[in-house]
Amino acid sequence: MDLTNSQIMTIILPIAFIQLALTITALVVCARAEQTRGPKWMWVLIILLVNIIGAVLFFIFGRRQD
Amino acid sequence: MMMNKWLVLFSKEWMELVRSYKLLWVPLVFILYGAMQPVTTYFLPDILANAGNLPEGAVISIPLPTAEEVMATTLQQFGTIGLLIVALSVMGGISAERTSGVTAIILVKPISHFAYVSAKWSAMLVLILIAFAGGFGAAWYYTAALFKNVDWHSSLLAFLLFALWLGFVGSLTLLFSALLRSGAAAAACALGIAAALALTASAFPKALAASPGMLPQAAAERFAATATASAAGAIANPWLPAATALLAMAAVLAIAAWAVRRRPTLD
Repeated sequence: MDLTNSQIMTIILPIAFIQLALTITALVVCARAEQTRGPKWMWVLIILLVNIIGAVLFFIFGRRQD
Repeated sequence: MMMNKWLVLFSKEWMELVRSYKLLWVPLVFILYGAMQPVTTYFLPDILANAGNLPEGAVISIPLPTAEEVMATTLQQFGTIGLLIVALSVMGGISAERTSGVTAIILVKPISHFAYVSAKWSAMLVLILIAFAGGFGAAWYYTAALFKNVDWHSSLLAFLLFALWLGFVGSLTLLFSALLRSGAAAAACALGIAAALALTASAFPKALAASPGMLPQAAAERFAATATASAAGAIANPWLPAATALLAMAAVLAIAAWAVRRRPTLD
């Protein structure tokens, strides 16, 4: 089956949206955290550059639980 | 009265899931991986053609897999990345609270150790169910949109079997979190056992027909069954490993409660 451009967009857009939501949440949590494990700018880079896994790594290892 | 106390503990665990953002990111990651598997499979020929390092005039012909095959590979994806995320998000469940002294504070009150552990365990199961339902649903939706509708009967059974596998490994992680000092070690132990179970089960399917390690295979076979009905004779009975996994989860809960009771604090 051949897809038109708009059909491809309806497939890709929701995925891109969820990915964006994940990245933004991670960035917001990182910015609002008083302290992170390791420097904050490093986590920002990881979240932005490593696709999906970057945000996961931040949520698991980057936050300090007190 | 008992039930009230348990509900308080459960809502504490639920708050913990919300405040650590687990209730948000774990389902999101599952949905992303579930949606991406059928989409990348569908666009794979285009992606390869645009990769740029192919000689001029190269013809790529990859047979498009059936919808059932796509669902089976999605389950494989959840079997690696999904398990990893489950183990990593559960690993600190008991060990972190024990190190920080929260466990000791809670258990000073007249609360049974079993209630403490089982509230954690239930919250974990709900999180896994929500995340996996989202991921599986996304995969199912995209497979139906891009390939073909997959029979929902076998899909539902595959979903339940695989959710049980995820819950089983999550329970193992919680157990090791109660036995060991470090969360990372707990995740490593649970993932190691899960990998060993799955490997031995696929190596000796006859002898280990009741092993919980059969679950991921049995779930994937739900899709193989509809694809090739002729192979139906070779398909493993899914109820035996499911029963073993449920029994093992009950045992895990009991052992974890015992471990917490024996050593509520570290040092």
